[in-house]
Amino acid sequence: MSQGNVYSVKNLKKIYHTGEVKTQALSGVNLDIHQGEFTAIAGPSGSGKSTLLHLMGALDEPSEGEVWLNSTRIDNLNKVDSAQLRLWNIGFVFQAYNLIPVLTALENAAFVLELRGLSKKEREAKALEALKALDMAEYADRKPNQLSGGQQQRVAVARALAADPRIILADEPTANLDSKTGHALIDHMLRLNKEQGITFVFSTHDPRLLEHVSRLVQLEDGQIVSDEVLQLA
Amino acid sequence: MLTLAWRNLWRQRRRSLVTAGAVGVVVFLSIWYYSIGGASVNSLYQNLTETTGHIQVHVPNYRDLREFQTLLIRNEQSVRERVNATVNQGEVVGVLEVSALLSGEDRSRGIVLVGQDWPEQIRRRFVDQNLSAGRFLEADELSGIVLGESLARALKVGLGDEVYAYAPGTDGYGAAAYTVIGLLDLLDANIEARSAYISLPAAQELAAPDAVTRFEVHFPEIRRVDEDQGVQLISADLKAALPDYSVESWRDLDPTLVQMLEILGPMMNIVNVIFFVLAGLLVVNTVYLGLMERIHEFGVIISLGASGRKVMGMITLESVLLCITGAAVGAVSGLALVARLAQGFTFPGLQEYYASFGMNPILYASITPQQVFFSVGFAIATGILAALWPASVASRLEPVEAMRFTA
Repeated sequence: MSQGNVYSVKNLKKIYHTGEVKTQALSGVNLDIHQGEFTAIAGPSGSGKSTLLHLMGALDEPSEGEVWLNSTRIDNLNKVDSAQLRLWNIGFVFQAYNLIPVLTALENAAFVLELRGLSKKEREAKALEALKALDMAEYADRKPNQLSGGQQQRVAVARALAADPRIILADEPTANLDSKTGHALIDHMLRLNKEQGITFVFSTHDPRLLEHVSRLVQLEDGQIVSDEVLQLA
Repeated sequence: MLTLAWRNLWRQRRRSLVTAGAVGVVVFLSIWYYSIGGASVNSLYQNLTETTGHIQVHVPNYRDLREFQTLLIRNEQSVRERVNATVNQGEVVGVLEVSALLSGEDRSRGIVLVGQDWPEQIRRRFVDQNLSAGRFLEADELSGIVLGESLARALKVGLGDEVYAYAPGTDGYGAAAYTVIGLLDLLDANIEARSAYISLPAAQELAAPDAVTRFEVHFPEIRRVDEDQGVQLISADLKAALPDYSVESWRDLDPTLVQMLEILGPMMNIVNVIFFVLAGLLVVNTVYLGLMERIHEFGVIISLGASGRKVMGMITLESVLLCITGAAVGAVSGLALVARLAQGFTFPGLQEYYASFGMNPILYASITPQQVFFSVGFAIATGILAALWPASVASRLEPVEAMRFTA
C-alpha cells in the first residue's frame, strides 16, 4: 500500500448468486483513496457503487481481490474483527438515514459511542458536539419521526462524526433530500472534510454533490471507467 | 442499551403487555401455588408437632416393649432436669399414657388415658382449637377429666358426670373416679372416640408415681418446617446428653410425613417449571416477531459495529426486561394475596378431606423468601432461554442482507 493511502482496493470482484443466476456487481476494481480526499463514486444505478462501498466498509466479503484499510487487509476478516473495524475506524451514512426510531437525535448520534462502551456523560457530550457541528443541537431531544428527511440525514452524519472517524463512507447521502437540504448537507460534509481532515468516500449520482468533490470516480458495469482529480473543492 | 431495550419493548405495546401479563400470571400462580403448598406442609408439621412435640424421649427400644412398667421413665424429676439442661428454649412436657378401662354408669370403653403437664401456651392453643364444652384441666387437678365428644357419647356421660378408670397391674392406686369437666371436638372422629385427658399428677397417682412414659419437647415458636434446622441440632445434643434413653425428633416419629414433605418440594418445582415453559413459548414468539420486524434495524446496528455478542445481549436484555416487568407485577400481586391468605383461609368443600388427614381445615398461606426468588428467578431464566434462539438468529445476520430486508 502506497504512503498516504487510506484505502487500497486491488482487483476487487463481487458476484451475487440468486438461485442459479450469477450477477457480476464488480469486475476487477482497483482504487486508492488518499487521506483527506472528498471522493465521489458515481455511476448509473446497478453500476456497483453501493457494492464497492459495502466492501470498503467490511460489510460484505468480495468474491475475489483485496481491500486494505491503512495497513490492514480487511476483505478477509472474520465477523468479530470486521465489526470491531467498523466500530473503531469507519463512519457510515446511509441513503435511508437508518436512524433507530425509538432513540432521540442525541441518543442516535451517541449510539456508536455507546457500542464502544463510553460513559453516558462522555458520549452525550461528544454527540452534542457533533449535532452542533451540523446545526442540529436544538433538535437533540426529538425522535426521528419528529424530524424532516434533511434533519434525519444530518443526525445520521452526526452519528458517524461523533465517533471521530478518520473516514466516512456515505451511500447516496443526498438521494432522498430536496435541493435545499441536499445543499446544506453537502456544505456540512465539505466543512468537516476541510476543517477536520476527514476522508469522505460516497456513492452518488447527484450532480449537486459532484460539483464539490475533489475526486470523481466513475463506475459502469462494475468497472472504473474514469478517475479524475478535480480542483473545485 | 437498557433504554433502547425498554423502548423497543413498547413499540408493540399490546403484544408486549399480553406477554408480560402472561409471565405475570405465571409468577402470580407460582407464588400462590408455593404458598398453598407451604400452608399444607406447615399445617401438617404444626399438627404433628403440637400433638407429639418436636422431640420425644422414651426408654430405649420402647416400640418393642409391651409391659407398662418397662415403658416407664422413672425418676421423672431427675431426667426432666437433664432434658431441661440441654433444651434451653423449648417447653419440656411429661406424658404418662395409661391403658385403662373407662366406665360411665352403663357403659365401658378400653382407652389410653393421657396424663400431661402441658405448659400454658400449648394448653391454650389446644383448648382454643378443640374444647367444645366445659373447661380444660388445671396443672395439678386430680379429680377432673376431659373426654372426646364421641367417647362421652359412647359412655353416655356429659359435663359433671362421674367416670371410673381402672388400670390394674400398675404401680399406683390402679383405680380412680373423675368428674367430666370438659369435652373435645377433635378433627378426627376416631381419635375423638379414644381421647381422655387427665393431669400428669392424676395419672401418676393412678398408675406410676414419679414416672412418665415419655417426655415431649415443644418449641411453640417453631411453626414452619423451614425453621426446623435448630430442632435437629438440639435433638442431636439431647441424644448425646441422654445416651441411656431413646431420643427422636418428629422426623423419626413420622417418617411418612417426612417423605411426603421431601417429595412435595420437587413436585412443586416441577409444576412451576411447566408453567414457565408455557409462558416461555409466548415469550419466544414475542421476541422472534420483534426480531423479524426489526431485521433492517439490526442490519444497521451491525453495520455500525455491533458484534454478534452485543446483538445477542440486546435481544436477551429485551426478553429479560419483558419477563422482569411481568414478574414484578405478578410477584407484587401474588405476595399481596399471600399476605391476605396468611391470615387463614379454607378450601370450600375440602374441610372433611383435610380433617381425614388430621389437619386443621384452616390453612395459613406461607411462602419462603427462597420460593419467591425461585419464582422470579424462573421468570428471568425464562426470559434468557426464550431469547436464545432469536438472539442467535440476529447475531448471525449479514449486515448488507439485513439492511435490504423489509418486514
